[in-house]
Amino acid sequence: MLFGKNPKATLIRIAVLVTVCWVVFSFVLLPIRVTGISMLPTYPNQSLNLVNRLAYFWHEPQRGDVVSIRLTGLHGLFMKRIIGLPGETVAFVNGRVLINGKILDEPYEKLSCDWNSPPVTLAADEYYFVGDNRSMPQEDHAQGVKKRIYIVGKVLL
Amino acid sequence: MKIIFRLALLAVVVAAGVWLWIVIFPGPEKIIRQRLAEIARLASFKADENPLAALGGAQKLAGFCSPDLQVKLAAPVNVEHTFESRQEIVQSVLAARSTFGGTLKVEFVDVLVTLAPDKQSAEADLTARMQSSGSKELNVQEIKFTLKKVDGQWLVTRVETVRTFS
Repeated sequence: MLFGKNPKATLIRIAVLVTVCWVVFSFVLLPIRVTGISMLPTYPNQSLNLVNRLAYFWHEPQRGDVVSIRLTGLHGLFMKRIIGLPGETVAFVNGRVLINGKILDEPYEKLSCDWNSPPVTLAADEYYFVGDNRSMPQEDHAQGVKKRIYIVGKVLL
Repeated sequence: MKIIFRLALLAVVVAAGVWLWIVIFPGPEKIIRQRLAEIARLASFKADENPLAALGGAQKLAGFCSPDLQVKLAAPVNVEHTFESRQEIVQSVLAARSTFGGTLKVEFVDVLVTLAPDKQSAEADLTARMQSSGSKELNVQEIKFTLKKVDGQWLVTRVETVRTFS
């Protein structure tokens, strides 16, 4: 009764469904749980999300994208926003981001910030990542330069 | 049919033999992974842990380290120290537990082991996931372990935190 009138077809459907789910959630959409406050207010602590691992298959990451960055593997990831692209110079002056000396318009930036940091010029394969919560002390906020190969994918939701 | 059955049986026996060989005689990489997992288990502790159990755990942890262990931990701890004896390591572990107070669960994931060509030393890059009591936040930190083979034992000679962003 559990497998209906045609148990063989039901088992095949279950097998296909399990395989598709495994492929999708292992290689395409990586489920993540946000822990920490560095992406507030955009992504609250303990919220669930998905990382699209194919997002940068056809094009390179863009400024403003929220991405997942791997450490030594996929069991611990950072979620950050890209503010600096390869070849650009990034600096913080009185809480404002300067890209090549010009103030970056950040509509997603809702919290007050007083950060300052000297200009950093990015290499051809480097991006500058930072969280949205810049009201927290700069030294407690993981941010900075990382190579392209560490980007796992784009945060979907 | 009989031949196919015999060949299949032979394949199963060979596979079982290879598996048994790997279990009984693990390679250096597997030994290092097992040792690091044990270190993570020993680095975890409960708030109400028995002092004798804590001492035993700290001594076992120190036994996995070289007496001249170098530790370089970035913020928020900011520690850079070279130990002079295992006893000093035990005391430091117990002091750290006592200062921390609560419960700490440490787990090492995504362990990448790189053996030196002479297979007498190795480096292990890993991600440490640390969950403390009273905090819903999971702390994630990249750590590099340097190990050396001394009298057949893999001992940790250096532990340093790795900055994820430069």
